[in-house]
Amino acid sequence: MVNVLKGVLVECDPAMKQFLLHLDEKNALGRKFVMQDLDDTHLFISADIVDLLQEKIDDLFDQLTFPVQQK
Amino acid sequence: MGKRDKSGKESGKRSKKRKHQSDSEDDYEDSRDSELGGTEVAAIATRQTDESTGDTDEYGAKDYRKIMELKSDHASRPLWVAPNGHIFLEAFSPVYKHAHDFLIAISEPVCRPEHIHEYKLTAYSLYAAVSVGLQTDDIIEYLKRLSKTTVPSGIEEFIKLCTVSYGKVKLVLKHNRYYVESSFPDVLQTLLKDSVIQDCRLRHSIEEGVEGVEDELIVGQLSGKSAFQVKKPPQAGQNGANSAPAPGEDGDKEKEESAVPEDIFDFYEKIDREEEEAEEQKILSFEVNPDKLENLQKRCIEMEYPLLAEYDFRNDTRNPDIPIDLKPNTILRPYQEKSLRKMFGNGRARSGVIVLPCGAGKTLVGVTAACTIRKRCIVLCTSAVSVEQWKSQFKLWANIDDSTICRFTADAKDKPIGCNVAISTYSMIAHTTKRSYESEKVMEWLQSQEWGLMLLDEVHTIPAKQFRRVLMVIQSHCKLGLTATLVREDDKIADLNFLIGPKLYEANWMELQNNNFIARVQCAEVWCPMTPEFYREYLAIQTKKRTLLYTMNPNKFRACQFLVRFHERRNDKVIVFSDNVFALKEYAKRMGKPFIYGPTSQGERMHVLQNFQHNPKVNTIFISKVGDTSFDLPEANVLIQVSSHGGSRRQEAQRLGRILRAKKGSVAEEYNAFFYTLVSQDTMEMTYSQKRQSFLINQGYSFKVITKLAGMDEEDLAFSNKKDQRELLQRVLAASDADADEEVVPGESKGSGQVTRKVGSMASMSGADDTIYMEYKTGPRRTHTHPLFKKFRT
Repeated sequence: MVNVLKGVLVECDPAMKQFLLHLDEKNALGRKFVMQDLDDTHLFISADIVDLLQEKIDDLFDQLTFPVQQK
Repeated sequence: MGKRDKSGKESGKRSKKRKHQSDSEDDYEDSRDSELGGTEVAAIATRQTDESTGDTDEYGAKDYRKIMELKSDHASRPLWVAPNGHIFLEAFSPVYKHAHDFLIAISEPVCRPEHIHEYKLTAYSLYAAVSVGLQTDDIIEYLKRLSKTTVPSGIEEFIKLCTVSYGKVKLVLKHNRYYVESSFPDVLQTLLKDSVIQDCRLRHSIEEGVEGVEDELIVGQLSGKSAFQVKKPPQAGQNGANSAPAPGEDGDKEKEESAVPEDIFDFYEKIDREEEEAEEQKILSFEVNPDKLENLQKRCIEMEYPLLAEYDFRNDTRNPDIPIDLKPNTILRPYQEKSLRKMFGNGRARSGVIVLPCGAGKTLVGVTAACTIRKRCIVLCTSAVSVEQWKSQFKLWANIDDSTICRFTADAKDKPIGCNVAISTYSMIAHTTKRSYESEKVMEWLQSQEWGLMLLDEVHTIPAKQFRRVLMVIQSHCKLGLTATLVREDDKIADLNFLIGPKLYEANWMELQNNNFIARVQCAEVWCPMTPEFYREYLAIQTKKRTLLYTMNPNKFRACQFLVRFHERRNDKVIVFSDNVFALKEYAKRMGKPFIYGPTSQGERMHVLQNFQHNPKVNTIFISKVGDTSFDLPEANVLIQVSSHGGSRRQEAQRLGRILRAKKGSVAEEYNAFFYTLVSQDTMEMTYSQKRQSFLINQGYSFKVITKLAGMDEEDLAFSNKKDQRELLQRVLAASDADADEEVVPGESKGSGQVTRKVGSMASMSGADDTIYMEYKTGPRRTHTHPLFKKFRT
């Protein structure tokens, strides 16, 4: 029996990969999405999660940015 | 990285959608802010210019075209005055120098990068303007002339509102008693009708049997002084220095004049002259209970009659003059002179704060002020080390008998009673628990004196509660505060306005740098990627240990090691700062360098510091936050910051100050000092570092972001393989949560009243205990992000 899964290849820096794995592990998006951990900078993830993931990464970056406009 | 690409567009859309909401949210926040402030400080202090006028475009830019009309000769005028109180100055304009002086007097500098400077009119800044002698009409008139457009009517009203009532009431210290003076009887009557002020009033009439005349006032005469005796000693000392640059300046002026409408110059001179006018006046006064002074001052600000503290030191015959003069070879730099001229503007001494960058010669300003007033002087600083520095500076710049200048500290053996210049620390004076018999006597003496001048070094520490006591305990005619960083992460900085006085002068860091008065610093932020292992743990752990994980990031260590080696090869002297003691030790031991932190004994400290200064083999030292202030290390020219106190802007500026002292020799290079901050990518540190930099950026510094240090791969650095990195991670994880904390220093903030003897550290002496880093106002503000800045994700 062959399983067909539609996926996306993600290339990112090692730290970002850890963030993705962290989300996967913690079920932060409601389910597992990493299909294959390829190497230091590459991951294979399911295609339908991409939009949600982008939001999540946006949030991370918002947290790490000091709002210039304050005051 | 491809992942992050598309999100940029999407968020752009989102932000547009939010646009409508965010405006109303902002308004809501503003109004709430002013309510809070109103109850705390004073209505007038939070009084703001009208923010709401003008249409806003989608980027948040305001359109004022309908309100302001462009003048036909706008090209030769340097200012834009916006209806919200912000003023923009073209730094490249030929009249820049004049406009700049004027703006410094009437407004607060917000941001001063290279070409366009931003200032803001505030109630306090306008008080300061009045207190240095500017008149309401002159301010408006001059502003009109400098502006490219018509000045919005709202601004005009704002200036009138803030300046008209100011300067009518004065607080005077006579014969060790405080009086409130005014030449306007009706103003005094208004004040006296207020219950709070009545409460502060000291009445002798009851004891003396004079029948309860509530509004009986003391009548006196204020002798009009000739304005020209105003040309005072600070200039006498530097006439030699002055006469040289002056002709050059005049020449410049003439050249400029052709390019500039004449009215700007005429007016400037007129304002200068008017500053010195004086006339005969009848004055009325009432006495005040010294214990309630702070209440009174606060209440008067609330009632919109802020008290102006002035000291007529020339006509003070009760206090003896002391023999102290500047040495003839002492030369003041132009900006120091300018700041002092603000202080002694009308022949009297005003209380206030002078802001100069670290290393720009604040001490000399203080010494000159003391030599000008020539009355007994008390100097308060933050630590025993700076007490020594002040003493040596007094001896260096002024002719003063060694025996009349005394230190009052825990270990100094001087006998201050009867001295002319006393130097002590805030904590020594503010000490409330039992003292030794001797120091008890000294305190009594200090309190009974009527000091001519009180110099407050690092005055930004004053708003802390325990230091406020100092101002109540010691009576002085005139207070001068000196600091480099008039910012605090709490909102207490405004308190300085009634505790001491308005800001008299603030120097422009970039100008001093261009004139080589302070070092030219290259600021850089080095981004160190987290290693996957460390980042994994960082994400998983929610406790304070996260701090430890990003400071101990192996890539950061490698970057640090690389920079240290690079600069040692250039024969630079390097200081590495780390707030975190665990990291400090780990780094220093690994690299085999000496380190200093809280528990390091005084002897060892001196030993390390002396070696650093004189031993060519010791070029790098590691210091925890005990070295933030008052470690004078003139040799150091490279500073590497490994970990820091959250987002504290003050700390960033103070640290930069360690390398700001002007460097001799190396004129050939563009920069002669380097300031690196090492930041672990994708962690909280990024946020902190942006916040920390904001103060320096407003002073005109720019930070270079370095994502990769060239040549780092060729170096043989520690933690190059996974095994070493993993070992380090193990050690970090094994460390306790306590290790992740910043250095905890025993000090006043612990608040147990029974302790009589304290193991002090530099940080607690300098009041650093109280400056706990806190974030204010987070959350909803983020919705207002400018669409352009959203692009950072691409």
